[in-house]
Amino acid sequence: MVNTTLTIQDILPYGSGRSSGKKFDMDAILPYLILPGLLLIATISRPVTITIMVIIGMGALYVHSRPRQKNRSSFFFSWTMSSGISMFLVFEGGVLGFFEITQLENFIFLLLLSCTCYFFYKMKAVADFELATGSSKGKEYSPVLTSDSHYCQICQIEVNERFFHSIWWDCCVLRPNYIYFLAGQVFAFATLFFGTNLGLTTVCQPYIFYGVILMPQDCDDVYYEFNLAICFVCCVYGLGYLLVITLVLIRQLLVYIPKYSEPQWRKLVNVLNV
Amino acid sequence: MAFKMRHAYKKKILYCGVVVITLMILLHPDMNARRSYEYIEKDNIVKNLHEETAANFTSTAIVDCDYYDIIHDETSLSISIVGGDLIEGHKIKEGGEYAPSDCKPKYSTAIIVPYRDRAEELRGFLVYMHTYFHRQHIHYRIYVVEQVDSRPYNRAKLLNIGAVAAMKAGYPCLVLHDVDLLPLRPANLYACTEQPRHMSSSINKFRFVLPYLNLFGGAIAIVSKQFKQINGMSNEYFGWEGEDDDLYSRLEANDLKLCRFEPEISRYHLASHTPVKKLDMGKKAGSFTKEKMAADGLSSLQYTEPGTRHLRYIQGLKSYKGLTNQDSNFCKVSLR
Repeated sequence: MVNTTLTIQDILPYGSGRSSGKKFDMDAILPYLILPGLLLIATISRPVTITIMVIIGMGALYVHSRPRQKNRSSFFFSWTMSSGISMFLVFEGGVLGFFEITQLENFIFLLLLSCTCYFFYKMKAVADFELATGSSKGKEYSPVLTSDSHYCQICQIEVNERFFHSIWWDCCVLRPNYIYFLAGQVFAFATLFFGTNLGLTTVCQPYIFYGVILMPQDCDDVYYEFNLAICFVCCVYGLGYLLVITLVLIRQLLVYIPKYSEPQWRKLVNVLNV
Repeated sequence: MAFKMRHAYKKKILYCGVVVITLMILLHPDMNARRSYEYIEKDNIVKNLHEETAANFTSTAIVDCDYYDIIHDETSLSISIVGGDLIEGHKIKEGGEYAPSDCKPKYSTAIIVPYRDRAEELRGFLVYMHTYFHRQHIHYRIYVVEQVDSRPYNRAKLLNIGAVAAMKAGYPCLVLHDVDLLPLRPANLYACTEQPRHMSSSINKFRFVLPYLNLFGGAIAIVSKQFKQINGMSNEYFGWEGEDDDLYSRLEANDLKLCRFEPEISRYHLASHTPVKKLDMGKKAGSFTKEKMAADGLSSLQYTEPGTRHLRYIQGLKSYKGLTNQDSNFCKVSLR
């Protein structure tokens, strides 16, 4: 009888090879405790919510101001996962519990979310594949760096055509998986935008913005009840995330998309020149 | 190689299975909130209305009022009216009664409003509703029923008390109305349809969706005879929840179907500072029986009326400008 059981390791894009040796990683567990804890504390009152959101924001800024090679930890990827899971659970368990979301709205939300998950999954899978076997296979040491090869300090590997390393996804973004990264960010933006809008119009007093589009208007009495408060806090956290994703997308638009499409342009120009 | 392919195949099946199961769980087949529902078309509204005026109501006007323009009115009223005063020369008679003088109304309606402890809100409600009704050309009277004892709030019983008073005064149509709900569209005519009507099917606080199809609370219109037929509402619901589901069960037991106007017309504003009414769909399967319905309702209604009508109300509300005893038929009751 051959081994037919599938483990979680097979499903995760990481593959079993890399993480099998690792034991319980404290860094990877902590975010699953810290973030829900912070969100729960934030339900106490408005000032507490603001304080906690500011603390989380400052923490993120601090992480980004540190030298990059120090950030080699699974903590950040776990934080991303923990944020996604917490917000998803609150949406499905809390916001839907008010019977104010129609089935169509829920379906659209789930569709956007699955697209987001698919693209980020693909991004990680392609990165793993590329680093292991692909064309941009890393070299341990090269005395001369060619113009299109770089040394990734976090992966500690030299890669061709490296764009950047995302600590929040614990993954190198290269040319082959860049398009997945971008699609993932766009869908994450859409999911968060839609989800926070649904959540906030449910817990707050909404008004008709245009046609069937609602916008939250008055969120004064969300702290009276725990259910309302946790939904509200998660929506605020989601809005913070939305802001970060917006900044990332703007950066992509200004820096990486021109870089990504440059070869195509060059090709086109060459064709025209001939 | 074959093993590897089988492995990949299994993985795929596993993925699909997980996706299908999660989707099934997450799509909530029991979730019934909806933006659209079955409703009476605009052009059929007048045909479906119960045309009758109060028993002792006479109008000196010669021409009948026209309701076509009202139903096709596209405007919304502004909530800011709540903070204002009644217009000069509003012609509201003693006890909150009004009828248009330039035409003969076809419909008489008694609006019954249960109330306790929110004087400022009641003031805003009355000012708003009178302004609103002036655009509808109907004969109406607002009954406010206040609970003065210290027992838990019993909305249904207060409505019963108001309904009895209105039926005694000969009103053929009752509108059971919450004090925190304000109709936004003058097209939402406050007259009874032949079937009981759920009027507040598109409330802003509920994201303008109908949380579930059998919801029959907030603001409803019902012909007096039908209200008598179902023996009114239950007197046993102290506290907030469940009385509207009980009322729906009563309709069902008497083969009365509820109807609605289209969502755009049925828009309501729910005052923001009221605690959220938790909708509990599980309760509707509760302890309702036909025997109980016959024993509990208008037939078993008991209450006392301490103090004089009108009078204490005015004293209590003196600090709020613009209210006189003309604004409503005010009734204080103590539930037994």
